[in-house]
Amino acid sequence: MSRAAVQRQHRAKIQLAAGLGALGVAVLAALFWLQPFPDQVWLWALFTVAFVYFEWNAVEVNDRLFASPSIMVLLTAAVAIGPESAMLGVATMAALGAVVPADIQQRRWFQPIANFGQMTVTAALSTGTLVAVLMLPGPGSAAGFEQADLWRIAVGSALAASVYGVVQYRLVLFAVSRVYGRLEVRPWSHIGAILLPMTGMGFLGGLLGATYLVIGTAALPLIAVVFFVGYMAFESYARLREAQESTIRGFIKALEAKDLYTRGHTERVARFTEMIGKQMGFDGTQLERLRWAALIHDVGKLAVPRELIRKRSRLTDEEHETMQTHVHFVEELLEEVDFLQPMIEIASNHHAHYDGNGYHGTGHEHGDMPSKEACILAVADTFDAITSTRSYRVALTQPYAYAELRRHAGSQFDPEVVEAFIEGMENSGHRYGSKVELTDEEARDIAEEGLEAIRVADQIHGRDFPLAPIAKDVDNG
Amino acid sequence: MAESRLHRLSLIVLGAITVLGAAAVVFVVRSGEVWSATLFWAIAIAGMHYLSVPTPSGKHINLAIGPAVAAAILLPSTLAVMAAYSVGLVGGWAVLRWRSNTDRDADSDYVAESISMVAFGVVASSGLTGLSGSSLPLAWEQLLSVIVGGSVWFVLRALVSAWVGTERDDLASRYLWLLALEDWTVALAIFTGGALFGMTWPLMGIWAFPVAILPYAFSHLAFVRYDSTRITYGQMIRALAQIPEVADLAPRGHSTRTADLAVSMAREIGLHPNEVTELEYAALMHDVGRITLTEPAILKAGYTDEDIARWGAQIIAEAPYLQEVSEYVRVQHSPFRRPGEALDPDVPMISKIIKVASAYDQAVHEMHLSPLEGLERIHRGSAYDFDPEVSASLRRVLAQRGVIAA
Repeated sequence: MSRAAVQRQHRAKIQLAAGLGALGVAVLAALFWLQPFPDQVWLWALFTVAFVYFEWNAVEVNDRLFASPSIMVLLTAAVAIGPESAMLGVATMAALGAVVPADIQQRRWFQPIANFGQMTVTAALSTGTLVAVLMLPGPGSAAGFEQADLWRIAVGSALAASVYGVVQYRLVLFAVSRVYGRLEVRPWSHIGAILLPMTGMGFLGGLLGATYLVIGTAALPLIAVVFFVGYMAFESYARLREAQESTIRGFIKALEAKDLYTRGHTERVARFTEMIGKQMGFDGTQLERLRWAALIHDVGKLAVPRELIRKRSRLTDEEHETMQTHVHFVEELLEEVDFLQPMIEIASNHHAHYDGNGYHGTGHEHGDMPSKEACILAVADTFDAITSTRSYRVALTQPYAYAELRRHAGSQFDPEVVEAFIEGMENSGHRYGSKVELTDEEARDIAEEGLEAIRVADQIHGRDFPLAPIAKDVDNG
Repeated sequence: MAESRLHRLSLIVLGAITVLGAAAVVFVVRSGEVWSATLFWAIAIAGMHYLSVPTPSGKHINLAIGPAVAAAILLPSTLAVMAAYSVGLVGGWAVLRWRSNTDRDADSDYVAESISMVAFGVVASSGLTGLSGSSLPLAWEQLLSVIVGGSVWFVLRALVSAWVGTERDDLASRYLWLLALEDWTVALAIFTGGALFGMTWPLMGIWAFPVAILPYAFSHLAFVRYDSTRITYGQMIRALAQIPEVADLAPRGHSTRTADLAVSMAREIGLHPNEVTELEYAALMHDVGRITLTEPAILKAGYTDEDIARWGAQIIAEAPYLQEVSEYVRVQHSPFRRPGEALDPDVPMISKIIKVASAYDQAVHEMHLSPLEGLERIHRGSAYDFDPEVSASLRRVLAQRGVIAA
């Protein structure tokens, strides 16, 4: 990234943090002036501990459905505390939850300040909605929650939760697009997916608050169990998913480590595909599918004899056939893994051409147009192959790779994907491949040096896989 | 053999419950107590036998205990509670028979669930009677009775299902007991739903339904997802472990068979369920180091079994969640004891089991020995190469499978 861009981002961060932080302080000050602090301080403290715990340990679930049960805690607390101090009680709670220790440890200042402002405002507005629904004149309206109709509590807290969702989403969207640009916002652009479960959580939270009002302190252990079990269940689910992904990543990394030429290939291709996906406006679930497809796309190659992968001269037809079978190896290996099936379809078609030529996976015939995802994977895979050193040639330059992709756009590659890739790459400012045009002699020397560095690194890390030497007769082909 | 005994046992339990239930029903009707509420809860308990939640241990808990908890709070006397439970359990037996794939699963579930449910009912409702008139608020009396009854339920259920499981599958009761204890989160969720309903129904009316059901529904969703992810994680490890076999670098099927045998032995020995899972992964991947044999340089230089174990461990160690598994793979060839030396306490049981299972599978499937000859080989190697305790377990597992005479 250029220096100017970094400075621009820095300035945007300062402006945003200052604005949101000031807003948060103003809201808190106004609430302190308007409302008394909850008279049952212990009750407020209990809910605060639960809320802060959930905020600090928010669970990452890819579809963002149940990111954290904290909205439930907020609304239970709002109902249990009572309307006269609900807004102040909940806003202070949210303010405390905004400061996450990980941010402090990593000396991030922007995130906590912006979060503080954003969460205080969001919490105050959403609790305000709940109080307003309860106070609205009409049947069942009352000054205190105890006398209020349960209908009002249920509807009010569901509404409050959706207000929370919308306001938070708008603020985050605004902040992210101000700092990082429009591109990063795209995976976030599916508010429908988060709003419905949030409303459900809020509805439930309000009713749990009502149980406290009707049965008293004996409800608190039960409420705690509801929070805890809900959190535990999603946390263990999220951890298992993470284990699953990191296992396949680790495995592939280890297997690639044996081979200098493919080392890091999968990780880079996964990064490129994700970038293209974002550029083309994919949502979270689609991006995840793309990432998994990239992670497994070369698993089959691990079962192909090394000599073939490293061969310097042109492959015979027979060898070429063996090489291509890695597409089927991946199908055979992973056929038992149910959730990978859609990704295998993508991965096994990454050698298929846009115009229907090339090598297709099982179930596809010559002439079939590969899916958009398979086209993305093909472009990412080819770009990495061109810009990294192979057994038969050294790395080529990035402009050369662009030219090559464009030359085959429309036949081998999907032109839309190629342009999305190049645009995304230029925006990111990253550079891959050789920096300069080299003669073959120079290129080989540089490659030898790189190989030596990797050997030293392997020794330090205790890996003892032998590495093959760089091919002596390099030809640019 | 064990199966028919189990079936007889489930019929005895059912008979006892029917007798108990008939007596309680007669009493409830004669004393003019609320028979309609009793009938409602009986139907709820019977119907909820149809639904079950997957638990972290890979088993299921059926939901019948949820309405049972609510009934214990809401029905006015211990007798009415017993009447509702027994009628519900008789109906539940029919429901389980109808939905279950195999009769023996239905039988064993039924025995454990019904004995513990009746125990819960007795403890919780007599607790409520005993506490009434104390200075505690009513809600706390209800909560305390449910907590005490629930603890009894949980321990009894684990004990009975461990015992029943030993009958059914010849597994170590320690293993099954630990397995049943793993289910506490799910049990807690179901109990909380029941207790919330029982405590709020008189005060909140129909709003008690969402209060009781939604928390449970949210966690159910998570448990189901957890369960399916647990299964696909296993599938993925299985797939990755097959890379050497697909590449013709290792004999086909060896790792799967070894894992299968090793898991049976571990359960028979009574390892902790989490350890059994790690053992399964380690056994599946014990030969993954062979993938390195595509490397011409290695083929030229030569290699030993220890090298393959070490390379395999290095590959597995790249996955942050499989550190332990990688260690088991690394030491899989360590002998049980070297001649003239004391026992090596550092060789984990898991590695010793894999060593035996792999050696036996090699003897039978690669050297084409008969199962008895294979076992003979292992026994000859006991005391130095193989742990005698593990060899003995192999013999018992093979006998259970009917491969050799018992």
